[in-house]
Amino acid sequence: MQPKPNHDESVRQDFVTDLRAYLTDEIYTLITPHYEKKIEPEFLQSHDRKPKDKSEVKSLMLNDKGYQSWSLLQRLSQQMMFTSVIDTVERNLEAMIDNLDKHQEIGSLEIDDSLEIPRYLTAYDIHQQPGGYHSETIEKDISAGAVYDISLPIYSRNAMGEENDLLAQAIIHYIDKNIGTFQPKDILDMGCGIGNSTLPFSKKYPNSKVVGADVALPCLRYAHARANALGVEADFSQQNVEKTNYDSESFDLVTSTLLLHETSHDAVPKIIQECFRLLKPGGWMIHLDVYPFHKKEDDPLYDFLKDWEVINNNENFSGALRKMNMKKIIEDAGFATETVEFTSAEAAAKYSKGYTGDFYLKLPVYVAQKSIAS
Amino acid sequence: MNDKTKLPRVAKGKKLNYLNDGSIDNLMAMIMTLTQEISVLRDRIDTLERILESKKIILDEEFNEFIPSDDLETKRKNRRHALLERVLLPIKKELE
Ligand SMILES: C[S@@+](CC[C@H](N)C(=O)[O-])C[C@H]1O[C@@H](n2cnc3c(N)ncnc32)[C@H](O)[C@@H]1O
Repeated sequence: MQPKPNHDESVRQDFVTDLRAYLTDEIYTLITPHYEKKIEPEFLQSHDRKPKDKSEVKSLMLNDKGYQSWSLLQRLSQQMMFTSVIDTVERNLEAMIDNLDKHQEIGSLEIDDSLEIPRYLTAYDIHQQPGGYHSETIEKDISAGAVYDISLPIYSRNAMGEENDLLAQAIIHYIDKNIGTFQPKDILDMGCGIGNSTLPFSKKYPNSKVVGADVALPCLRYAHARANALGVEADFSQQNVEKTNYDSESFDLVTSTLLLHETSHDAVPKIIQECFRLLKPGGWMIHLDVYPFHKKEDDPLYDFLKDWEVINNNENFSGALRKMNMKKIIEDAGFATETVEFTSAEAAAKYSKGYTGDFYLKLPVYVAQKSIAS
Repeated sequence: MNDKTKLPRVAKGKKLNYLNDGSIDNLMAMIMTLTQEISVLRDRIDTLERILESKKIILDEEFNEFIPSDDLETKRKNRRHALLERVLLPIKKELE
């Protein structure tokens, strides 16, 4: 299903992968020492104290050529990633759409034409993907899904696994390790996008019924066709996961990967409440997202740097999510206090395409159980 | 990348500033290095095509069907790393 880059597109994309690796390994690593050796001492000289918070650090950094150059290049690399991927998708688009009919046999695709796309997805293009997840340029458009599918490996230095399923593997690993006896029958993957985190559950629990829900139709069309091409069964449905049309208590497991940080302050509690409504008593909710919980409160440089994506990559909500009291939101929704946990889910990751070495992926998860008595 | 000796690539001396605040100088340096590398590549491909043509062994679609081995992927990755090292040297200098 994934469109194949031609020779030049392929090596152009490889260049972006390597550029991003270089910017991270060779340039970003210089920023903290540069700050400690040059920027901070200069400030100390003229102010008799260190910068006190991230906004003070910010005004220093925005005037620093070295930092600004890295920041510019990092932003450009994201743009170069998308343009180099879009070439491939555009070249193959009509043929892919013509082929969609051949990939409808298993699973289903439910479309809701009247669904409104939330403003937080339409106001700006999250992480600079042109057109975002939802825009359609041509009838039966699937380009947003295809672009996402090819970009994810570039973004992750070819570490997401052949089917971009590393994040779901981390959740599965978490369940096996911590809730070993749990055998979910009905599973919902919220914000499923292209289904990359949905299909691993169909494979892991072959007797279960797995549903992926997302607002973005171009991603869902791609997800359904992709599932067929891979021969894995799942149902896909166009829904706003703040309020779905499923009956209460219809799922044993509700998951998401990389959903919450792309929503909004108002949406997060609604999504958590919806999870509670949808879960059967005893069911589990597991949301995996990108940001570390540990906060070095007294390190204004770290505070400033971790907001890079917010300011420079259109991840406008991701900074604010870090500050939300998720524990309270989850407890207020009704989840059993003693089961609410923020921990990390791990998966064994493997680089590919010229990158060698294995590593452990460790990502934060919000976990909670709906108590059996509720 | 490897433990081979690395020779210095930056001359010691007074730092001069030509355009704007110096960022533009960096940009210009990067762009010119890139241009140079593209020119090198172009000439190399040209040579390659001519040799292959004279031996009648290349078809256009073969380019797109070619799948590099793992070894070749690693070689290319290292080559790109070296290219970036040269192109982005001005930025590294700024931070070092
Ligand atoms: C970063 S993508 C994650 C896709 C996939 N789960 C993964 O991990 O690669 C976020 C997805 O969430 C979807 N999304 C955001 N808000 C949503 C909402 N309120 N209801 C349904 N889907 C939503 C977006 O359309 C997008 O496909």
